[in-house]
Amino acid sequence: MITLKEALKLSKDELKKFKEELRKDIEARAELNGYVEVLDHGDGVPIAIKDNIQVNGWSVTSGSQILQGYIAPYNATVIDKMSEAGLSAFGRTNMDEFAMGSTTESSFYGKTQNPHNADCVPGGSSGGSAAVVGAGLAIAALGSDTGGSIRQPASFCGIVGMKPTYGRVSRFGLGAYASSLDQIGPMTQNVEDAAILYDIISGHDEKDSTSVDMKDESVTDKLNSDRKLKIAILPKYIEDASNDVKHAYGVAIEALKKAGHTIVEKEMIDAKFDISAYYITATAEATTNLARYDGLRYGSRVEGKNLKDTYFKTRSQFGAEVQRRILLGNFVLSSGYYDAYYVKAQKVRQLIKQNYENIFKEVDLILSPVAPRTAYESGSLEDPLEMYLSDIYTISVNLAGLPAIALPIEKNADNMPVGLQLIAAPFQEQTLFDGALSLEKSL
Amino acid sequence: MQIDDALLSKLENLSHLHVADDKREEIIAQLSEIVSFVDNLSELDTTGVSDTFSMTDNGTLTREDTPSCNTQVNENIISNSPKSGDNYFIVPKIIE
Repeated sequence: MITLKEALKLSKDELKKFKEELRKDIEARAELNGYVEVLDHGDGVPIAIKDNIQVNGWSVTSGSQILQGYIAPYNATVIDKMSEAGLSAFGRTNMDEFAMGSTTESSFYGKTQNPHNADCVPGGSSGGSAAVVGAGLAIAALGSDTGGSIRQPASFCGIVGMKPTYGRVSRFGLGAYASSLDQIGPMTQNVEDAAILYDIISGHDEKDSTSVDMKDESVTDKLNSDRKLKIAILPKYIEDASNDVKHAYGVAIEALKKAGHTIVEKEMIDAKFDISAYYITATAEATTNLARYDGLRYGSRVEGKNLKDTYFKTRSQFGAEVQRRILLGNFVLSSGYYDAYYVKAQKVRQLIKQNYENIFKEVDLILSPVAPRTAYESGSLEDPLEMYLSDIYTISVNLAGLPAIALPIEKNADNMPVGLQLIAAPFQEQTLFDGALSLEKSL
Repeated sequence: MQIDDALLSKLENLSHLHVADDKREEIIAQLSEIVSFVDNLSELDTTGVSDTFSMTDNGTLTREDTPSCNTQVNENIISNSPKSGDNYFIVPKIIE
């Protein structure tokens, strides 16, 4: 597959031909089930779009039954920004229902396969986007990351996935899951393409009140893999990771040393507290955001004998994991439990953020695993708590609003990709991409 | 902490959804397990830590309050709603 950088040099005629071929290739690998629908939104460089980002006139359903029949009434800001840069939405990709999952198995449209092994999951929730890029069926894709939903599938499918600093990319037109954690980001074949796509979609947007109003500095034109950085490693933090991940961690450390970076050892708060703070915060916000799905204004309505019955019947269409998170969210927000759970989680969130701030006083980047292991076999991660625990290495980044990038390091003995992530201080995307490019080149 | 059937019924009401009868026991067990896990936060001393968390250190952004309306978006929304007429959403009867 050609890279995004190369594709941006193609003429309109060449792009047209390219898309015709791409459609045939997608059809030939229909069993991958990465695309929900192959639609074309213009004559630009085709970019695959996760099914929770609005493209005017396209169906957009967050992989859910409850949004069947909903057509996006306007473009998400990222789609408008892409159009201005000569890119256009091409195909919507599969995802866990409402982005609540780590395997892309809970979608209304069925499971997506891992492009490297059909018996394994592509990760989630942006599993469709990761699978189509990993399979060579997309130049690049957009995903969204609330607790690792870009980085973990990128790692499982052997591609690059980047989560920007909270507020860097507009959330206008993104189906909301947990508003203080969600960010849209690029999923690409290499680090430079991620920088290119990040530059295109980032920037202040007055339609998103959490979008940061600061000078938009591009990173791609200043990419510099020769910068010597101070990078923290976390020996204690990775103790519970699989041998594959530990091996990749060692390989990456050696590569970074060889490239002239300084490696220092640091410690993080026990990650079990990240899991708790995250699942309390995310479910509380999700329960609030998903209150809007009542069947009155959009999506699929199930008529009941009166209004209340219509609400209940319509909302009972949510899948099991979404129902669980709505119930949990109402639990942590309800009278009598609010202080012990929700308020406590917000305090712990401060501690997690401070932990990062202290580390970033001394270092430029942190090297961390993305997931405890390589891609899971389909159906093996069915216990909800076990699935939540698999998010152990990604969620603190969202809780603290930091930028991070996952990139492939090597393949294990079963030929499955192993990825790691670099994490930077807020708004230090330039340093993040410089370090990632250096690591990519040194492997 | 153990979730019981009465608490699940309360949560269903707050959530406006029904858990299928054959799933109740399973979901009670799952929710109890998850809530017991997140109880680990009580191990952390958070005395003196602020309970308001904000994603931005600079407060909420403001903008000029200038009216704007893209009526095409309104039309798109209405035309794709489950039931509509005369530019209104049609909903089930509220008063019996």
